[in-house]
Amino acid sequence: MSRLIYFDHAATTPLDKRVRQAMDQYLNGSYGNPSSMHWAGREAHAAVDEARTDVAALVGAQPGEIVFTGSGTEADNLALRGVLERAGGGDHLVVTAFEHPAIIETARYLETRGVEVTYLPVNADGVVHPETLAQALRSNTRLVSIMSANNVIGTIQPVAELAELAHRHGALFHTDAVQAAGKVPLDVSRTPIDLLSLSAHKIHGPKGVGALYVRTGVDLQPIVFGGGQERGLRSATENVPGLVGFGRAAHIARSEMGAETARLVGLREELFDGITATIPNAYFIGDRYRRLPGHLCLGFAGQEGAAVRLLLELDALGIAVSSGSACSANHAGEPSYALTAMGLDPIRARGSLRITLGRGNTEAEVTRFLEVLPPAVQSLQTVASHRGFAVRS
Amino acid sequence: MANVTEIELPGLDCGLCGFPSCDELAGRLADKPELLKRCIPLSADSLGVRSAPPTGESTGNARPFAAPVIDATGVACAPGGDCAGCAPAAAVQTETVKTPRVVVGGIGSGIERTWTDHLGREVDFVLDSFPEEVGPREQIIPHNPILTRELDIQVGEVLVGRPLGISCGCPVTHCGIVQSVDMKNCTMEWCVTGPLHPRQNGFKDIGYYSAQAYEGLIKARRIDVEIGRRYWFQPRMCMMQWRHSGLVNYMNHTDDGIQVRIEGLWIG
Repeated sequence: MSRLIYFDHAATTPLDKRVRQAMDQYLNGSYGNPSSMHWAGREAHAAVDEARTDVAALVGAQPGEIVFTGSGTEADNLALRGVLERAGGGDHLVVTAFEHPAIIETARYLETRGVEVTYLPVNADGVVHPETLAQALRSNTRLVSIMSANNVIGTIQPVAELAELAHRHGALFHTDAVQAAGKVPLDVSRTPIDLLSLSAHKIHGPKGVGALYVRTGVDLQPIVFGGGQERGLRSATENVPGLVGFGRAAHIARSEMGAETARLVGLREELFDGITATIPNAYFIGDRYRRLPGHLCLGFAGQEGAAVRLLLELDALGIAVSSGSACSANHAGEPSYALTAMGLDPIRARGSLRITLGRGNTEAEVTRFLEVLPPAVQSLQTVASHRGFAVRS
Repeated sequence: MANVTEIELPGLDCGLCGFPSCDELAGRLADKPELLKRCIPLSADSLGVRSAPPTGESTGNARPFAAPVIDATGVACAPGGDCAGCAPAAAVQTETVKTPRVVVGGIGSGIERTWTDHLGREVDFVLDSFPEEVGPREQIIPHNPILTRELDIQVGEVLVGRPLGISCGCPVTHCGIVQSVDMKNCTMEWCVTGPLHPRQNGFKDIGYYSAQAYEGLIKARRIDVEIGRRYWFQPRMCMMQWRHSGLVNYMNHTDDGIQVRIEGLWIG
């Protein structure tokens, strides 16, 4: 097998060496509990504080507004349940139909607890239109949750407009920024975002660490009870090495964002041009430019049903890409609800290919991918004869 | 449209246009004005930040926003205390605006609410998998049945193939784990799974196949089900969420639901 190529950074990212170096001290030598009064505790506490400052800076927050969690999913749960379980019932929640399962499943849970939920449709380009949100808002809308960038399609949402709209109607605004953070400028000091979810492992940090930005004044109900860590919002002894890694990853992402984003956009465009030139039945899903820098979502008309064969073929060649969301790959299931929400038919919604580039990817890898993808696609069965496929859904 | 070279770029240096700085993009606009459409912050001024802070200002210091206040009755009020923000919301409600609502597909979610498939067609019941199995149980036969012997298919192996033609012509390649093999008839039973199984365990490719029968449980139904009748049903895990039809030729009432075998399968 030739050299391995990893093009699945929306699923997770490799740990940056600089992050690992920062974590080493807290994996090997410094082991204190940040809540302890003694020297070991103080050392750990200082490390967590520094990490909190770095994570806060990534999104323009104050350090005291960052609540560390065990994952982005937990941050999403805390945001939705924290707001709506604090309320007395009869409240209204608005989410989009293509949120991550961490939001969708929490919304469904809240429905069973008496919360009314509106699932907003998205337009054919994978963008939530502010007018659609305006129509859904009610006097009892307590919270609006719309992701900053979609994990399947890669499209970037007009978060500032949507947040302002929610605020004008007296609703809190939460955004799942797990995919966007470190790639798209986010500044909660200049945008009326009240709650924002982050995950370390999407920005070359460690797995098992997340954070929720909670704007000062927003009152949340905890969902984990215990010793009162994280201002009582997330009891549990802090994962100090993980948090140190998260802080370092956030610092690196912030300091390198502009140049790295531009580099990834360049590689993405090279992929786009190469695929367009060599695979005539390829079509791309989602807005052409309003998307995450290294993210392409595409299908091959007439061959969507064979997407699994393509994934297996690419895997055999050492190339890691994904079909839709990695979270749904373990069981036979339905078409991607994210793509269905955009109006794609279930065949196309089932058969998309997601290519997501990251920090370690190179032009040579893109070139190799463009060499192997066309014959791999050509070898797939087609469900019908090739006769000038439509290239748009 | 104004001359693109006179348009003030946001100054975020975000790189989303493909250039590391706004200055570099600005320098290219005279030759390639179409590049302006790549400036996402400018296109709608709508990322998670409005504009770049003035030089030297820390991004964490500007605090112009306050969270909406929720009063004791649970009614949301806009920041500022004059309730101006509530008025538009109330207006929206009284205009009986049809709220866009998408019923998101998912296990235990949409089908029982509407009793329709993805295309809005009625279904009589939902076919669930046996809880102890990894996916929907099907009896299948390769279009070239001798493949069952030539490939020496064994219980526990992973197969991939597409159900073609009569009996559930589905455009999607399926994966499954073999549960039993009938070498006399060259049929086999498998449980359909997701793509991680062939990735992890390797697989044999049977090309095209026909689905001869489904087995599973009826936990949710809109009407009474009788043996010997043909019904519209929705396999819970159907990748297309299309209804199927078939003849129920075995029924057994269990604590988990009605165990059924369905033959004579068609999609739609």
